[in-house]
Amino acid sequence: MREIRIRFRKTGRARYISHLDLTRAMTRAVRRAGLPIWYTEGFNKHPYLTFAAPLSLGFEGLAESMDLRLLEDVPEDEIVRRLNAVLPEGLAAVSAAEPVHKAGELETARYRLTFTGELSQMAAFLAQDAILVEKRTKKGGMKPVDLKPSLAGAVYTPSQDGEGIMEVTLPCGSNETINPALIAAAYNAFVKECTGVEQAADCRVLRTGLFCGENLPFC
Amino acid sequence: MNPTLEQLFMKVQKPGRYTGGELNSVVKEKGAVGIRFAFCFPDIYEVGMSHLGMKLLYGLFNAQPDVWCERVFAPDVDMEALMRENGVKLFGLESRDPIDTFDFVGFTLQYELSFTAILNMLDLAGIPLRSADRGDGCPLVIAGGPCACNPEPIADFIDLFTLGEGEEVNLELFELYRRHKATGFHREDFLREAAQIEGVYVPSLYEVQYHEDGTVASVTPKDGAPEKVRKRIILDMDAAYYPDRFVVPFIDIVHDRAMSEIFRGCIRGCRFCQAGFIYRPVREKSAETINAQSHALCENTGYEEFSLSSLSTSDYTELEKLLPMLLDWAEKEQTNISLPSLRVDGFSEELAAKLNVLRRSGLTFAPEAGTQRLRDAINKNLSEPEILDTAKKAFSAGWTAVKLYFMMGLPTETLEDVAGIAELAQKIVNCYYYNPNKPKGKGVNVSVSVSCFVPKPFTPFQWEPQDTIEELEEKQRHLRVSVTTKKVSLHWHDAQVSFLEGVFARGDRRLCAVMEEAFRRGCKRDSWSEHFSLQTWLDVFRDLGLDPAFYANRRRDFSEVLPWDHLDYGVTKAFLAAENRRAHESQTTPNCRQSCSGCGAARWKGGVCTNARN
Ligand code: SF4
Repeated sequence: MREIRIRFRKTGRARYISHLDLTRAMTRAVRRAGLPIWYTEGFNKHPYLTFAAPLSLGFEGLAESMDLRLLEDVPEDEIVRRLNAVLPEGLAAVSAAEPVHKAGELETARYRLTFTGELSQMAAFLAQDAILVEKRTKKGGMKPVDLKPSLAGAVYTPSQDGEGIMEVTLPCGSNETINPALIAAAYNAFVKECTGVEQAADCRVLRTGLFCGENLPFC
Repeated sequence: MNPTLEQLFMKVQKPGRYTGGELNSVVKEKGAVGIRFAFCFPDIYEVGMSHLGMKLLYGLFNAQPDVWCERVFAPDVDMEALMRENGVKLFGLESRDPIDTFDFVGFTLQYELSFTAILNMLDLAGIPLRSADRGDGCPLVIAGGPCACNPEPIADFIDLFTLGEGEEVNLELFELYRRHKATGFHREDFLREAAQIEGVYVPSLYEVQYHEDGTVASVTPKDGAPEKVRKRIILDMDAAYYPDRFVVPFIDIVHDRAMSEIFRGCIRGCRFCQAGFIYRPVREKSAETINAQSHALCENTGYEEFSLSSLSTSDYTELEKLLPMLLDWAEKEQTNISLPSLRVDGFSEELAAKLNVLRRSGLTFAPEAGTQRLRDAINKNLSEPEILDTAKKAFSAGWTAVKLYFMMGLPTETLEDVAGIAELAQKIVNCYYYNPNKPKGKGVNVSVSVSCFVPKPFTPFQWEPQDTIEELEEKQRHLRVSVTTKKVSLHWHDAQVSFLEGVFARGDRRLCAVMEEAFRRGCKRDSWSEHFSLQTWLDVFRDLGLDPAFYANRRRDFSEVLPWDHLDYGVTKAFLAAENRRAHESQTTPNCRQSCSGCGAARWKGGVCTNARN
């Protein structure tokens, strides 16, 4: 049995696929591709698939990660080719290879956030000493977190057509994760407080990479 | 800021209902197609996407190079509000183009309570509700499906109906449309010519006159439209189109699996069942065809589950041949075959175990009525010993739950028949406790579901009065006190909803005004109990001077002109009347394989009518 890590893109219309639905879509894709995949044993047999760091509904990703187990050897480029022949619009396999890192070694993710709307307060927003937001905890409660440490390394570039692009690395591991939607929410809250404008900006999220530590690509 | 569709998607529950882009959905080059068709299902995505007929026609239409068929479903409350707020018109899932720019907007009519959802969808699309108000630039609004057998309550809103099976008649409509489009399309000319195609009913070409008492006096065709419009059927099921792929949804839907149609029609002739009459005669597919189509479907969808579809799967004559063929590849490919409640006793235990027949569906029976006398009256051929025998077998194999389906308000029903429901359930409970191998420490659960009988057109009961809401509720109370054990759980349908369904089912054209007014007052999701308001409907009826009981609770005379008499589904009125009389004498009628009862469907010279009998 061979463990294989597929890296794939989830873009365009596919970004509305929730994580639960993605598992089902990938299961069926693997079946259509006719890959000799390992099924879990037991009453309710299903192909074994695991994903690193589920992507929220609405976000796009360029280097998502899914592990599966093959019962026979299939050349890696053929895995990619067979999957791409049967994947729906917006999902595309990029590579297939034996995993190097364990899922638990994943620590951060890099995002490109594209802001649209009223962006004139961005510099002031980022210059704050602390950027406190409420974050949902696993137990269902809320707790405050400071986004400032994560945003310290963020690079923000206003573009010509009135959009603003932010490149930012956020914790994305088993100990701590920060959902990039919190940044947009914090910015909107900030603008509302300064100017009274509600829902000033919209933000599209693209996850560009997964890393162990700050810079070692997860693979 | 006027949000784009994309921004709306982020604000609604389950955006996957509206985004499109699913595997096997068809996207064509706009400029390269001549006919754009919006296939509209007047219910939400999860319901509509589960429907086999839609998958079939979607595949067939898109197999025509110059036709692009897209899917459209009723948006849920949240999406509808956002669309109205932002001026977004109803759009096709594939192109996201507003459907008022399409050539055809086609609705499938699966249940009467979806009628107002159709009005809502037309309204959301920006298409005038009434055919009479549509100009040459408007799409043709067409409809088909089982409820087209009495389309009168929505006759003013639909330009034309197709009766019977849609595979051929729609392609003929497209052909006519191409010709008209090439020479300059005029709605009225098109409709007049379309009415000459067999199976096409153009309601505006028929004038209805009423007697003083509100019954129909006459229905008169004009402009050369046929006196009687006959339904279409496909005779050779092996040669008929069947899709080799389904659109595979991302979100969970009601029936998320591959399905193969194995035959059309039903041999049984249960007198309450409209499907058993309007789809006659029975026409089967060969086991080889089904096997090949099923395998292709599973390969092209990746579905892990697969089912056979028909009105009564255990009546398929080649089942014993088909199942091993299916199992041969399904086992290798880890695909589950699920079968609806089959008569398990017909199978070897080995086969039944492999199929997971019981695991998937549980043990279910539909006796429909509580006593043998009433079962004879409705021609439901299922006897008490048969039920008890199968239940015993299942209990000794370790099963502890049984589901029973009944109807209440059937013609000739007495309180004794109602109490019979409780008695039958009790006998099943007793079977469980007499069983020496019963699992230790486990009780049995017999769940009894009771729906309210609604008399339907083209059935022997089309003349019968429906029980009033009060009568039905009285019977429900009687059943409740007749059940004396906690092992039996009771569930029933809302009598109010069934009443409205009964009004629409046998309604006439005057209901169009009621329909429109009720829609204006907010009735647009009647098939969802949380949105259903009988009071609103009653108010509209009162304000428009019509009596709903006239439609639902009145006994018709055999000589009365029924609002659907100008439509011909093959089964003759004389046969239905004879069946009605037999019902009142509790006389059963043999099924089509035992002997032919001369229902009229033999005129097509095909299917079971021409099969050899033994
Ligand atoms: S004509 Fe006879 S065999 Fe054919 S459908 Fe009717 S009753 Fe059945």
